[in-house]
Amino acid sequence: MNRLAALEAALFAADTPLSAEALADALDVPVFQVEEDMERLARRLGPDSGLQIVRIAGGYQLATKPEFASLVARITKPQTGRLTRAQLEVLAIVAYQQPITIPEIDGVRGVQSDYTVRQLADRRLITDAGRRDSPGRPVLYATTLNFLHLFNLDSLSELPDLALRDGEMMAIGPRTIDDQPSLELPES
Amino acid sequence: MARPAPQKAEADRSQEKGFVRLPDIEIACEAFSGTLGMLIHCVREHKVDLLGVPLGPICESYFRHLMQGQADVDAAAAGAAALSYLVERKSGLLLPRPEDDLPPDEDLDRPEAEPWIHLFGPAMEALQERHDERGKVFFRAPGGEAARYELPLELGEASAADLARVLADLLSRAEPEPPEALSRPRRSLTDQMKIVLLALTPELRPLDQIITGSFTRSEVVWWFLALLELIRLGQARVTVEGHDVRFAGRAA
Repeated sequence: MNRLAALEAALFAADTPLSAEALADALDVPVFQVEEDMERLARRLGPDSGLQIVRIAGGYQLATKPEFASLVARITKPQTGRLTRAQLEVLAIVAYQQPITIPEIDGVRGVQSDYTVRQLADRRLITDAGRRDSPGRPVLYATTLNFLHLFNLDSLSELPDLALRDGEMMAIGPRTIDDQPSLELPES
Repeated sequence: MARPAPQKAEADRSQEKGFVRLPDIEIACEAFSGTLGMLIHCVREHKVDLLGVPLGPICESYFRHLMQGQADVDAAAAGAAALSYLVERKSGLLLPRPEDDLPPDEDLDRPEAEPWIHLFGPAMEALQERHDERGKVFFRAPGGEAARYELPLELGEASAADLARVLADLLSRAEPEPPEALSRPRRSLTDQMKIVLLALTPELRPLDQIITGSFTRSEVVWWFLALLELIRLGQARVTVEGHDVRFAGRAA
């Protein structure tokens, strides 16, 4: 079987990012082989193609090139999914401080955030990640794979470190939520 | 979200000490999970956001508690006082204060606590930038009607009747369920499949050599379901040799 052709077929058919591990498992080859093949496939698509292979949300996915954005948008007529300032604030806080409770988000913003949190949970950008072991056992929130997809991120580590008040840096923590929901609705 | 909890034995002892025990009502909502007594404590200590706790179901649960005759007069009075306290506190949070006669804009309602959202400015800029970049590329929309295709099953000579016979054999060897089994949380099928995968080897073996030790009927059923799912996904194999049905993991 021509492996490059097989990978191309898999990418074409998939509507969510495909991880190197999943592809390696399906093709019965080591992960590094898939990564090498992906680079070769990306080169093969090259400047003459309207498509590119992107690394997003922990996997590979076939996407259109940015220079064709307006043409594709005219044809597919995607829904606009603009984020409000409040939503962006909550997302930034959850991304850096996850897992985090609503009162803690309120503490950072200085205003109530429960409505915004619900909106973001409805859009599957953040999700319930268990409960904190403290009085009242409040719900903890964490970002999802949809969040990575919407912000063109392969992983949270691509976000910048932040300077704190005392001069220390706040990095995106390597916190992982075991039960990340699967990517369901990447927004175009 | 709220229901009466089982009565505890030390209720009378509390009363002897001059305390009136609140009705045992358990509350489970997004902002809080625990008993009515714990909720009162957390609200008093400002450890829970009362706006996130719907009081209607708690009141209904209290009325059910009364109708079932589970509370004496003192406990019923203590419950009514506790609920009144919650309603009063929540009303105070919900009703506009005289100086707040302004549109409900979040930015006009910043309390005394010192917010530090400004430190997230660079992160928000980075997110906005990436969101804008992302808006210029398009992916295949989810939910496209892919042709339905079933992975071919590696059943060999095995039939559904052979698999049923293996399951019946295992069930006949299973031990009775312990009494607490029903309340024990069951692991997910995915977790069970990982366990079964670890137990399978590339060599074909009968199931009684793969599942060793003692097991209950529900464990057998769960184990077998995981095995069937692995066969369906092509990660396990089954063959029939004479009367023996043998299983193996996918060959390396």
